[in-house]
Order: sequence, then structure tokens, then C-alpha cells
Amino acid sequence: MSAHDHAHGHDAHGYGPHHVTSTKTFVSVLLVLLFLTIITVAASRVDFGAANLLIAMLIASVKASLVIAIFMHVKWDTAINKLVFLSSFLFLSLLLIFTLSDQATRGDDDPLRTVKLPVDNGFVQPKPHAENH
Amino acid sequence: MSHDHGHSVVVPAPGPGFLPHTVAHHFDTPKQEFQAAKLGFWLFLATEILLFGGLFAAYFYFHQVYPETFKVGGAQLNWRLGAVNTIVLLLSSWTMAMGVRSAQVSQKGKLLMYCALTVLGAVIFMCIKFVEYQAKFDHGLLPVFGGMHDALGQQLQWYTDHDGVMAGVPHGNLFFSIYFTMTAIHGLHVIIGAGLIVWIMFGAAKGRFHANYFLPVDLVGLYWHLVDLIWIFLFPLLYLVP
Amino acid sequence: MTTNVPAYEVHAGEHGGAKPNFLNVTKGFMSWAATLDHKRIGIMYLIGVTAAFLAGGLFALLVRLHLWEPTGLLFDNATYNQIFTLHGAFMVFIFVIPAIPGSLGNIVLPIMLGAKDVALPRLNLLSFYLWVTGTCFALYAILAGGFDTGWTFYAPYSLYSTQAVISIGLGIFILGFSSIFTGLNFIVTTHKLRAPGMTWFRMPLFVWAIYATSILQVLATPVLGITILLVAFERLYGVGIFDPRLGGDPVLFEHFFWFYSHPAVYIMVLPAFGIISELVTVHSRKPLFGYKLIAFSSIAIAVISFLVWGHHMFTSGQSTYAMFAFSFLTFFVAIPTAIKEFSWVATIWKGSIAMNSPMLYTLAFLIIFAIGGLTGVILGALNVDIHLHDTYFVVAHFHYVMMGSIALAFFAGLHHWWPKIFGVIYNEGLAKLACGIIFVGFNATFIPQFVMGSRGMPRRYATYIEDYQPFHQASTIGAMVLGAGVALMVGYLVHSLLAGKKAMQNHWGGVTLDWLSPTPPPLENFDEAPVVTTEVYDYSTLDLKTTQTPVR
Repeated sequence: MSAHDHAHGHDAHGYGPHHVTSTKTFVSVLLVLLFLTIITVAASRVDFGAANLLIAMLIASVKASLVIAIFMHVKWDTAINKLVFLSSFLFLSLLLIFTLSDQATRGDDDPLRTVKLPVDNGFVQPKPHAENH
Repeated sequence: MSHDHGHSVVVPAPGPGFLPHTVAHHFDTPKQEFQAAKLGFWLFLATEILLFGGLFAAYFYFHQVYPETFKVGGAQLNWRLGAVNTIVLLLSSWTMAMGVRSAQVSQKGKLLMYCALTVLGAVIFMCIKFVEYQAKFDHGLLPVFGGMHDALGQQLQWYTDHDGVMAGVPHGNLFFSIYFTMTAIHGLHVIIGAGLIVWIMFGAAKGRFHANYFLPVDLVGLYWHLVDLIWIFLFPLLYLVP
Repeated sequence: MTTNVPAYEVHAGEHGGAKPNFLNVTKGFMSWAATLDHKRIGIMYLIGVTAAFLAGGLFALLVRLHLWEPTGLLFDNATYNQIFTLHGAFMVFIFVIPAIPGSLGNIVLPIMLGAKDVALPRLNLLSFYLWVTGTCFALYAILAGGFDTGWTFYAPYSLYSTQAVISIGLGIFILGFSSIFTGLNFIVTTHKLRAPGMTWFRMPLFVWAIYATSILQVLATPVLGITILLVAFERLYGVGIFDPRLGGDPVLFEHFFWFYSHPAVYIMVLPAFGIISELVTVHSRKPLFGYKLIAFSSIAIAVISFLVWGHHMFTSGQSTYAMFAFSFLTFFVAIPTAIKEFSWVATIWKGSIAMNSPMLYTLAFLIIFAIGGLTGVILGALNVDIHLHDTYFVVAHFHYVMMGSIALAFFAGLHHWWPKIFGVIYNEGLAKLACGIIFVGFNATFIPQFVMGSRGMPRRYATYIEDYQPFHQASTIGAMVLGAGVALMVGYLVHSLLAGKKAMQNHWGGVTLDWLSPTPPPLENFDEAPVVTTEVYDYSTLDLKTTQTPVR
């Protein structure tokens, strides 16, 4: 493709070189995703107690990673696009971590609390028309 | 590079049956246009992730507070239908990825076919959703607008649960409120995504998308994959964790 | 510089005539209403946010007048609640959040980068119309009965209040998308449209500031969006997530709300920091001290701002451990902020200082922001905040940063870029006078509030005990003075548009690309696309013939 051939650009002169994923890759990923779905359902039929949630989320995360990396092309994408989507999950996790840990520790006996209420320390509610401060 | 006013860059069509693309004139090259649009769209997807993320936070929060309610509530959902929906969306994600690929290699017919299949997947998904919702309405478990509190504000009028399936666990309405809110907003995105894909099909029929210009197909594809992504998490959390 | 010959066709288009600028290149209503030019969009924003500021200020004056008497001078309690809510909602969502990015950011940032426009001009126009639409919903909400929840619309009251909560909620939701799209646009523009030779560390600091702001806009605003949606759903069909009677948790509302609203205050203040960074260097004609420090501190503030939201909730019933964590993390945000403040002062130190109106506003900012920032650190201390929460101390703190710092920086930036944008200069004497009046009025309004807040005067109260009356009256008088100063400022600025003297091409003697473009800029910002070969604040490149300010 000579540099002087203006009028008949091929695909490489549109967006520059880009990656076209092969059909084989897409089909393989699809099969893995379907397989993982079956695993998810099967695992949920067994009672692992509190670990059920964790296992489900782990498998879902693997599926999500495949969709993101291959179907959404992120594996071959620019660094900034990768950073953008990663940071959205990162900041979401901040929301989750703080709110869930707040809820989980609420009402726990606080060993540092040294004042037991109610306390009578002589405080008198001021009347609205008190004359002096 | 200096750039005269009024000159616009045109990307040629790769062959007959396709249309050339004029690059927006504030961009210097098609590559710049492509990368700018893609970055912008990823930023938009980040906002969607955080929007839904808030709902997931609410889910996890109340799952922590009322584990029994979520267990019993989840058992009321039809996991088989949910699994079918999951498979439908995964397949539609694949057809969408294949559609984008078809555009990248200038295969107009295949692009149209894959888009049509993806829309079909969306339709099937919404039909199954409708069936599920119908069942829940019948049991008095899903909201209708306007069905609010009674005089004391303690009992929701829409949440009648007349089969008593949620008796014995506190605040069953919370599970179904979260279920409905999450799946309804997700469903809205499915509909929007399907609409966008139909729009792509119109453009594809005219030959607008090809190896030199497939940007809109790429972006709509990303949107559709996000819709699938959200469901990948919704399905186990709502239907399977119990 | 080389030009690669692209292997695609280049069509010749029509050429413009002789040197029109962006203000007069096309005429007529539609040429503005349907414009894709970032400068025109910025001016439309400027008009809009100024109107919002004046409306919000009017509500503020009503609040202050009402509080002249302990029993309340003007309104019954319920109406008072609506008035202060309107003041807060208008100021926060319709003025402060959109103002600097939407107006000065839109107009100046692409020029500073050497670009022809933002990356996504149609999205930019959409952002503006979303702002208009959101504002219309807010106005409608007023007509539909108003809303009295406070701008923070906490659950459970916002769930039960019989007023137009959903209307204003929808308005804020739409405004949120305006904010998101603006931020999105600036991020893409900064990444993709920099002129050749402009590396990241040759970008003006205003761009860094807007970039950090944009990250916050994109990542934080959606959570506000979902919060509003949930409140709306709660009101419409009783989701129960926030309603304790239905098993929900009002503290969860606060978590969601403040997860956005704390980064939101940095969305508000980071652009102001960016303006001050530009002004201290130009008006001391000295390179910025600690350029990289200031640039990175903007990003650091953006990141840390996501970690501290619980400091708004110390009396709400969070777990004690969460409160410890939030209080501890809150102190960290003071570090990059202080780095900025010290760097600005160090920039001015031994510079060639021009005591003109933009510089006066900047100096006022430096003093006021020091107080505002430090009182924020005081409030970040958990044990102190237990007592000061919901008192006038908090009100004074955030007005010091929002009004005294952000609004003042906005005024400073307006004065600084006024000659560039409009090609005219305003009356400098009146500008200095207005700055003085605003500074005095502002402090007179809010210093009494610090005092009475520390003595227990609660916020959002329509009536109060007589002991606080002297403070309230002093504050009200200060507010009137402040209002007069603002009115004077608007007056001479508008007058300059009608009959102002012509400005020179580089009125203040800056060396960033915004000052090298023609005044006012042409449609595509430059006659020839610039190529950057020098470092960013290199005053040895300044051509003194182009600048009005005297040789120093």
C-alpha cells in the first residue's frame, strides 16, 4: 500500500491497524460461558452455607472477565480504556466495602466507650429567656 | 499538522455496496475520531456500572441484614426461567460480537443476520421476563404504581403475598422490591439496547458500516455486552444464592 | 514538524472571509441555539448559571432577612423550610456544580490544549440542554408546591413529604447527566485533542484541575442518580429500602447520598483551584511553584474524596468503627489541598505582582479558603463534630469554601478571561471596589455564624432563642453588603459588554495557548493550529507588545 495512493485506502488506512478477533475465539469463549453457567446452577443446588454467595460471585466474575476481555475487546484495547473500566469497579467496591462493613459492625459493643448513659452531670436546659450567659 | 478550515477527511468505502464516511471536522484523522469515541463510550459504560452498582450495594446490604428473607424470596423465583434467560443473553452477546466482527471484515449480510439474531434474543428475554413478572403479580408479590402504604404506613398495599409464601421471614417486600427494581431497570436497558441494534441494522442495510468505519457497531456492541454483564451477576444473586 | 500524508481523500470546503471571531462569525438565534462551538455553549452556560446564582442568592437574602427576628420575620416555619431548601438546591445543583466546568471550562479548556473544539461537540450541546431541562424541572417543582426536605433530601422525610420531591428529584437526575456528559467530554478532549508538542506536563494546571473534576463527575454522579431513582420508586410504590417502617434503613440513604455528595464538593472546588493556579502565575508573571505537585494533588484529592463521605454522617447512627475510619481518612484530604495553598503562595512570593482585580479576587480566595479548609479539618475530627454537626459552624464552613472560595474563584476567572472571551475590558476601579465590598460583606456574613455555631445555634431552624439574635443580625447585614457587591459586579461586567474599551490580544500577559490565540478567538480558536515547543509557564516567551499590562 503506497503512501501516495490516496483514493483507494484499504482498511488499515481507516482507523489504523486494528485487531479482528477470530470466530474460533468467540465460539470458544461462548462455550466456556455456557459451561460456567451450568456450573453456577449446579453449585447452587448444593448448600455450602455462607460460601454459596462467594462461589456464585467468583464464577460470575470469571464469566464477566471473559465477556469484558474478549467480547468487549478490552484485552486488545488501549491502556486508558482498560483503566476506565477497572476504576469503575474499583470505586464501586469502595461503596460496597464501607457500607457493608458499617452495617456489619453496627451496634457492636464498643469497648472504647467509657461513658454509660444516662449521665447526670448537672446540665440544665437553658430557658428561652435566660438573661445571662 | 496545520489544517485548513473547511477541509474534511473522508474515509473511502472498501468496495461497492458500501458508503464512505466523513470524519467530524474537528478531528484530524479517523483514528483520532475512533479512539476519542471509544474512550468516551467506555466512560459512559463506567457510569452505567456505577448506576447499577448502587443497586447491587442495596442488594448486598439487605442480604446482610435479612439473610432469611433473601433465602426464602429467592426460592420463589423460577431459576429455570432465569437460567434460560442467562443462556439467551450469553448467546446474544456472542451474536453481537460476531456482528461487530462481520462489520470489521465488511460482510454486510452477516452483520445484518447477527444483529437480527441479537434482537431476537432480546425479545425472547423480555418475553420470559414478562412471564415471570406475571406470575409474581398474581401472587401479590410485585409492585404496581400507586399501591402505597396504608394509613399507618406499615403495610404496603401491593405486597399482599396472598399465598403466604413469605410468612415467617421479616419484610419480604424488601426482597421483591429489590428484585423488581433491579430487573426492571435492567429490562429497560435491554429494550434500549435492542432499539440501538435495530438502528444499526438500518445503517448496515445502507452499507454504512465496513472495515474502514465500524465505530457505531462497535459501540452498540459494547452497550449490549454491558447489558449481558449485568445479568451475569443478577442471575446468581437473585435466583441462585439461596 | 512533519505532516504524514494520510491515504484518504481530503475535500476542500468553503473558506471563511476576513478574520471574524466566534461571536460574530454567524448571526441569529439558531446559530446560538444549535451551535456546536464550545465557546458559544460556554457563554450560554455562563448566562444560565449566572441567573441561577442570582436566584439562589435571592433565596439566601430571604433566609437572612427572615432570621432577623428570633421568631422569624417573613415566613411561617413550613415556608422557611422551602426557602432554605431552594437556596441549597439551586446553588448546589444548578449553579456551583455546572458553573466553572460548563462556562469557563468549555470556553477556555480546548483553547488551552490547542484544539479546535471539545472531542464531542454534539454531546456538549446536549449537556447544556440537559442543564436547561433539569432547571426547568426544578422551576416546575417550585410551582407544583415546592419542596422542603433540605437540599440533602434525607430519608425518611423525603419519602413522606407531601411536596414535589419527585419533580425536583427528576430535575436533579437530569442535571446529573449534564454533569456526567460534560466530564466525559473533557476527559476525552484532554486525552485525544492536545496540540502536537503538548505533553501531559506541558498542560496548564486549569486543565489538570478540570480533568480531575471530570473523573469525579463520571464516577460519582451515577450513584446520586440511582439514589434519586430509589427515592422516586419509594414514593411511587414503596420499595422500602430507606423506609424503616418497611424494614429499610435511612442510614443507607445517607451512605448512597454522600458517596456522591462528598466527591461533589470536590467537583465544585477543583475547578476553582484550577482557576487560582492560572491566576497566581499570570498576575505574578512567575512560573507556578510546584507544577507537578499541584497537578498530582488534583488527582490525589479526586481519589481521596471517595474515601471520606462518612464524615457527613457522624451523628446518624453508623458503627463506631466506620466513624473512626472516615474521620482518620478525612485528615488525609487536607494534605494535597495544603500543598496547593502553599504552592500558590510560593508562586506569588517574589513575583512581579500586578494588583489588578483578578489578583485581588485571588488574594481574597487565598485568605478565605485557608479558613474554609482549616475549619473543614476541625469538623473532620469525630469528637468535635459530634457537637458541631448540624450547627451554624458547619454552615459557615461550607459557605467559606463554596461562596468565599469557589464563587470568588469563579468571579476571579471571569475577570481574568473576560478580555479574552469578549475582547473588551471592564472598569478596573469599580472591579476593585466590588471585590472589596464582596470580601467585607462575605466575612461579615459568615464569621458570626462560626461563633454562634460553636455556641450551639442549630442550622435550618426557622426560629431561635434571643441569645443568638446579635449574631444573626450581623450576619444579615453582611449578607446585604455581599449582595450589593455582587450586584455592582454584575453591573460593570454587563456594562463592559455594551460600552467597554477594547482589550489587547494578551491583556494580562499570559503565556499559555489561551492567551496566544486571537482576542476574541475565531471559530476554530487559532488561525493556524499551534505546535507547542516550550514549557508551560515560560515567561521568557512573552511578547510584551501584545499585552496591556505595563512592563514590570
